Amino acid sequence: MEPAAGVTLDNNHRLTPKELQYIIRWNSDRCKRCGRCTAACPVKAIEPTVRVQRMTFSEGPIPKPGAQRRVVHAISQVTDPERACVGCATCTLVCPNEAIEPELNERNKLLHYKNKGGDGYKRGGRRNDPSISVLDRLKFTRISMLTDPALDAGRHEFRVRSLLGRVLPPEELPLKAVDGKLIVDSAADKFIPPVREIFPIMIGSMSVGALSPPMWEGLAMGVAYLNEVEGLPVVMASGEGGMPPRLLRSRYLKYFIIQIASGYFGWDEIVRALPHMVEDPAAIEIKYGQGAKPGDGGLLMAQKVLKLISGIRGVPQFVDLASPPTHQTKYSIEEAVAKMIQSMSMAWGFRVPVYPKISGTKTARAVLNNLARNPYAAALSIDGEDGGTGAAYNVSMDKMGHPIASNLRECYLDLVKQGKQNELPLIAAGGVGKRGNLAANAAALIMLGASVVSIGKYIMQAAADCFGDEHNRCNLCNTGKCPRGITTQDPKLYRRLDADKVALRTVEVFKAANVELKKIFAPMGRSTELPIGMSDGLSIDDKAMAERLGITYAC
Amino acid sequence: MRAKTIKKKVEVKNKKSEVKAKKTTTAKTTAKATAKKAAPKPAAKPAAKKAAVVQSAIKKPAPAPAVRIPQMKGVALSHPAGKAKKTPMVAASAPKPLPAIEKRQDGSVLVRGLVGGQRTPSRILEEQIQQLVQEGARNLTIVADGQHGIGGRIWPRSEKVQITIEGPAGQRVGSMGFDGTEIVVRGSASDDVGWINCGAKITVLGDVTNGAFNAAAQGILYVQGSGGARCDTMTKRNPRFDPPQSWYFRNVGDSFAEFKAGGIAVVCGVNPRNPENILGYRPCVGMVGGTIYFRGKIEGYSERDVKLLDLSETDWEWLTTNMKPYLEAIDRTEYYGELTRSIDDWKKLVAYTPQEKAQKKKYQIDIKNFRKVAWEKEVGQGGIFAEFLDHDLTLLPYVTTGKDRRNVPVWANDKYAPPCAAGCPSHIPSHKRATLIREGKLAEAISLVLQYSPLPATVCGTICPNLCMQSCTRGRLDAPLAIDKLGKLALDIPAPRKADPTGHKVAVIGGGPGGMSAAWQLALKGHTVSLYEASAKLGGKIEMCIPHERLPQEILQKEISRFTELGVKLHLNTRVDQKLFEEIYRNNEIVIVAIGAHQPRKIAFPGSDQITSAYDFLRSVNMGSAPDLKDKKVVVIGAGNVGMDVAIEAYNCGASQVTAVDIQKPAAFGKEMQAATAKGAQILYPKFTERFDPAAKKLYFKDGSSIDADVVFMSIGDVPVLDFLPPDVHVEKGWLQVSDLGQTSDVKVYGVGDATGLGLVTHAIGQGALVADVVHYQMAHAPRAPEVKQQIAYERIKTQYYEACKLEFEPNAEGNRCMSCASCRDCRMCENTCYEQAISRVDLGNGRFEYVVDENKCIGCGFCAGICPCGVWEMVENV
Repeated sequence: MEPAAGVTLDNNHRLTPKELQYIIRWNSDRCKRCGRCTAACPVKAIEPTVRVQRMTFSEGPIPKPGAQRRVVHAISQVTDPERACVGCATCTLVCPNEAIEPELNERNKLLHYKNKGGDGYKRGGRRNDPSISVLDRLKFTRISMLTDPALDAGRHEFRVRSLLGRVLPPEELPLKAVDGKLIVDSAADKFIPPVREIFPIMIGSMSVGALSPPMWEGLAMGVAYLNEVEGLPVVMASGEGGMPPRLLRSRYLKYFIIQIASGYFGWDEIVRALPHMVEDPAAIEIKYGQGAKPGDGGLLMAQKVLKLISGIRGVPQFVDLASPPTHQTKYSIEEAVAKMIQSMSMAWGFRVPVYPKISGTKTARAVLNNLARNPYAAALSIDGEDGGTGAAYNVSMDKMGHPIASNLRECYLDLVKQGKQNELPLIAAGGVGKRGNLAANAAALIMLGASVVSIGKYIMQAAADCFGDEHNRCNLCNTGKCPRGITTQDPKLYRRLDADKVALRTVEVFKAANVELKKIFAPMGRSTELPIGMSDGLSIDDKAMAERLGITYAC
Repeated sequence: MRAKTIKKKVEVKNKKSEVKAKKTTTAKTTAKATAKKAAPKPAAKPAAKKAAVVQSAIKKPAPAPAVRIPQMKGVALSHPAGKAKKTPMVAASAPKPLPAIEKRQDGSVLVRGLVGGQRTPSRILEEQIQQLVQEGARNLTIVADGQHGIGGRIWPRSEKVQITIEGPAGQRVGSMGFDGTEIVVRGSASDDVGWINCGAKITVLGDVTNGAFNAAAQGILYVQGSGGARCDTMTKRNPRFDPPQSWYFRNVGDSFAEFKAGGIAVVCGVNPRNPENILGYRPCVGMVGGTIYFRGKIEGYSERDVKLLDLSETDWEWLTTNMKPYLEAIDRTEYYGELTRSIDDWKKLVAYTPQEKAQKKKYQIDIKNFRKVAWEKEVGQGGIFAEFLDHDLTLLPYVTTGKDRRNVPVWANDKYAPPCAAGCPSHIPSHKRATLIREGKLAEAISLVLQYSPLPATVCGTICPNLCMQSCTRGRLDAPLAIDKLGKLALDIPAPRKADPTGHKVAVIGGGPGGMSAAWQLALKGHTVSLYEASAKLGGKIEMCIPHERLPQEILQKEISRFTELGVKLHLNTRVDQKLFEEIYRNNEIVIVAIGAHQPRKIAFPGSDQITSAYDFLRSVNMGSAPDLKDKKVVVIGAGNVGMDVAIEAYNCGASQVTAVDIQKPAAFGKEMQAATAKGAQILYPKFTERFDPAAKKLYFKDGSSIDADVVFMSIGDVPVLDFLPPDVHVEKGWLQVSDLGQTSDVKVYGVGDATGLGLVTHAIGQGALVADVVHYQMAHAPRAPEVKQQIAYERIKTQYYEACKLEFEPNAEGNRCMSCASCRDCRMCENTCYEQAISRVDLGNGRFEYVVDENKCIGCGFCAGICPCGVWEMVENV
């Protein structure tokens, strides 16, 4: 409608900062108006503006008015929801005078407005749930002191390792004794599945494209360092979107799990690199789902598809790259998984473990039971609802998916029923290290039945200082405006990030996790092998959870 | 007092349970082994002899003691009766057993731990020893049978207390031993020899098993053989005393010296069990103090905790000096020469100091180096992505300058149109008038408008609804700039100077505002313009249809005469028909059709033939032949601005009541509406007319209602009469079809004003000027579309700088009231605000200037854009 005659509309339909999730607290007295905050704000949520201060005063014994008027420059918060402050605090970071910071507004109504143009709110990050997760509620309650050998993590040397790949039971291994030594009986003509011994925490799939070059390379270099220098066999999954050709041709390839997902991006390049590979990859991961956004596909926006992505993914520049929620040639569990595992195994001569990754779901057991019968299936990776993502609909992130703890547990117990718990490793992910307790969360999952635990957000926070948290802080991963330079293809932003620092932090994180895992396992009397499924060591302070997980209740 | 306390502690311990001594076979076998291997001939003899003694002591149980063991008064009282009973005090069998305690002539005492086949409990043996020492015994020989802790806890006295242990000693020989106590174990000892040693000198003539010297704080341990696992762990040094010493002749077992916090350990490495590794697996984990001297090969140690060094002269002196008494004690003096042959045979392990640990590199190779020597060596120079990256492989700060800025400021002076100019259909840039006023050029400011309109006093100053003022940003603060009044001031200004003649000929058909505007602009540009007007006067509908009350005739006439002075060839009273059009078309390069809309539109319904059109009525009024409407009730069908003019004139002609009806919300607005309603005009809507009954003097509506109507005027618009145009010029639904630039389907023919669609006078003037521009460029063979500037967003104008005021109109004051939207007012606010001092003003001469940015200083903060009063600075993405 038209404005009434002779008026100018002012605040009609304008929001106050109270509606927004973060309110900028700016201190005029401290501010020197240098503009660093406004220059650095990734979403232009703050802008320099002009304010009038006017005061009428009266001096002397009788009313004698005067007026003082000052026009000053100020920093003001933009209340357009599309430019709403995301709380990243880059302003605080760059402010030389501690004059500005975003403050979480618990009473915000941001979600009421994030649907401009009739599209749902999309963002990156994780499920915004700051409550204490089940993983963080699990306690290690079986402490060995006098009942069985208690170990000292600092004093006793023991290795924390896991197996990735299908482990045949001893009686099925085609071995024979010759001159007192066990050798493979080639006459038995039996397939021995490939198995890798790895550190039980791996870096989960984050693609070249989702991550910036220094972030991806930093992680990759850290992984190489951990293996080559520290002797810690950490592996990292590529995510969908190909692999840098230089890495494919290098001997470091053996530390990487290559992912294939529904978009098959970069796979022609990978296939072409096959004859040049000097090492096999650690494994192949077939992505069917992602814990953070079950049923939601991925989209790498055209603006990110520059020379680098184009080269690595084998696509033209400046096009949208969609990874659909489903594989186009998938018809049933039997058919789809079996043929994918066959194809991928065949590509490397059945020398590389191949396993599918699914979202945490009530149907995980069905998938698992299928895999248990597939001799080529190397593992099952389950990504719980607390996983992270570079881009998804908020509704998918916040509301879709299954928590990892009970999902993993029921899968493991299914394997136990079949007597196959030591055969088919389960990889668990989703919310590991959510509150910084990487080793404890990992140990808890291992004791619930995981052979390997996969991390994503945690390493971004720990290795690259990602601002994101469970209060929707930052979460700009999908916009290409990541202020830390982690999830952007804009050199102006990603050149803030030092790949060497990321690598160093990655090394520190895994070294520390190794120490901490020992600190957990040693007092529980475990040293020589990973306590996979050792659920008698776990308790939780909630009866229902204890019952669901099949562990004891402790309070 | 002190002694009492300790005694109590002992009692408490005794009460708990008898800790059974570990009678291991290890002790036996190691003893044997020591005897065989450790001491090759000729040195083997004494050892072998002693070992034999030990063996016999074990194998041949001594007879049970005949006499009751004397009980110490105090101690005995403290024992619970039941427990005391359990202890076999009296031998049961007949053969006379050897006594438990045998005092010898030389003052020494023999204590038997196995009496009559019954092992003396550790508690009793301890009591016996303590009692004997208290009674003055200083030389005791204990024939042990695995009792716990023999020889410890003997409080220091003036004389030495010597204790010789024969037979299998139990665990923790000499534990908590004091200085002044000297213990010799004739054979091997079990675990934890010298546990928490507080000064005793303990010599073991055999091996020690696991945990020897654990937590020792003072004293000496001499071992003739080897040590088991975890020897010398947790030893410490109390600064009040000499550090503890432990000497191992052969080698030690795994996990040696864990958490060692002080003391000196010496491992001589003679005839070691594992010649490849005399310190066992992973020694020194957690070691924080003390020194380990060793001689022989090792296979690693906890590098995190200790460092391997050569011996210094001081070390060597200490070692060689203290070696002698050690070798004497273990009866191996013959090895002195071999062991002190060379300082180079020895090494030492010492703990890193906390400072050293803090300074120690946490990584074997730093990441930068790893990148160089491992990563890039394997994946290639610049890393895995280098082949795809175009930029420098360097880091950038968060706040950047130059090409690395995310956004850059642009001094977009006059890039956008101010709201006044954008809102004005004639595109008159009123802000430029304000600029001229501020510069003190009032006359120029007032005459500027003539560049845009030939009729500023008439239109801007009088009849125009002044959309410019409705848009004016200043209006948001107090009142809009008085553009109407400024326009009126141009009334007496002569026409601007014409450009030199170009020789180009243009015809304009129609002398209304559209035609006049086009002719005016073309004439000013030096073109030859012929204007054809059907009536006798210029001005079109302004002249014919606008009530004189609203437009005083002298204003219009004055502006018309200024127009005529410009030299446009006027052809008044010349109605253009097909024939004339063809001629005009032939004789001119361009023909502009601006004939207006003069044919009233009518709707047919019963009685509509009795209705006069607004056009005819208004024209008759202005021609001086107005009808008499005295006391008549007048209804106007159509409540647009023309309808309002009809209402005004109807009242002027004496009407008692005028009602305008419309089928929708009235389109009338502004001055027309105000003037009409002021006179009493009513507006009714929505009303769909059904019929007019002149006899009943009623107008009926489709909703069944009716209204009294003596006279009805139809004011639903007019349409042009375009029958003179050739078919090549496309007309649709009665209107001349033109492009955005005013061009018809014939490239030579343009259309302007109401002939193309009804609009305001200012629209016609704007279109005339636009077409003149387009035509001008077309004739110059440089066709182009005139630039249409986007209107600047209001938010960009910082009205906060201005204070609301209550000024009467005064031309000179308007200059400062104007907010100079989108046009730099040269206030230097940006220059003063820029923290980085990146903005400077550059004088270009002739009063021209610009503001420039030093990109090496600018960080792209947007302050200039955020605070610019005029909204001139804008931030654009830096790509």
